[in-house]
Amino acid sequence: MQALNAADDLINEYQGWAVDDLETLRQQFLKISASRDVDKKEIAEMFDIAHEIRGQGGSFGFALISAIADSLCKFIEGRQQLSDPELEVIKVHIMAMKAVFHQQLKGRQKDLAEQLTELLQALRNKVNLNASFSS
Amino acid sequence: MSGYNFQNLRVLICDDSRQIRSLLKTFLNGFGIKTIEEAVDTNQAFSAMQQFDPDLVITDWNMPPTSGLEFIERVRMGGDSPNPYVPIIMLTGYTELHRVKQARDAGISAFLAKPLSAQSLYKRLVAVVDDNRPFIRNSKYFGPDRRTARGGEFMGGERRNRPS
Repeated sequence: MQALNAADDLINEYQGWAVDDLETLRQQFLKISASRDVDKKEIAEMFDIAHEIRGQGGSFGFALISAIADSLCKFIEGRQQLSDPELEVIKVHIMAMKAVFHQQLKGRQKDLAEQLTELLQALRNKVNLNASFSS
Repeated sequence: MSGYNFQNLRVLICDDSRQIRSLLKTFLNGFGIKTIEEAVDTNQAFSAMQQFDPDLVITDWNMPPTSGLEFIERVRMGGDSPNPYVPIIMLTGYTELHRVKQARDAGISAFLAKPLSAQSLYKRLVAVVDDNRPFIRNSKYFGPDRRTARGGEFMGGERRNRPS
């Protein structure tokens, strides 16, 4: 019982440091957005932050955060550069995560998670498709 | 969650996330495990392997600039490994099939996908304790027999040598 309470305490503390992680992600995004010459290492660093958030979200009761971060990871992984539309996709993911924390959307949020996952996937596909036509 | 007594297990946790380490430790304490060592990266984990002599290792995959996968390969195949047979659970947010195969081919004993829960962790602990697969050695691999993951007995010829 003591251990369960301790786990609950940790879960309650999660939001505090998760917001810090999200801010780190946002700062990395801003750094990349401001640079005209994006370094793939910086993109990889952004992936690492998103990957961390993906692993922690659901572990601490915010499954939606994991779902959004998972979508973001899928979008970023392996990219060497980022176009303006691609940066917009990343921005949408960050804003969505901020909204989840702001609205305190804890738990599985099954319906919302499904809708959001579909929307984000459609957005990723659209931008990827446009990029493949223009390349 | 009963029937198994994990009390005397010595567990090494390797994860660069302080929060995940804390959550793991809390769950493990809840299962009665009190002897737990933490490492924040794979170099620290390898040193801890030598000093702490764990019965079980739980490691993350992505710990920049190091990788849990390389750590596992070093534990299994490295000449300086203190215990190549130690059970290893890979805890990771990577859930794609090719990643699972990569982890399996590195020599993990069990794969545990994040998000982490007390139930999923407990199931993996039980799986590791009940795991009676032999260890297989060839030029590229040392670790639990990977064939049983597909279920059933292997009916073909024996090509690999088991360690003596």
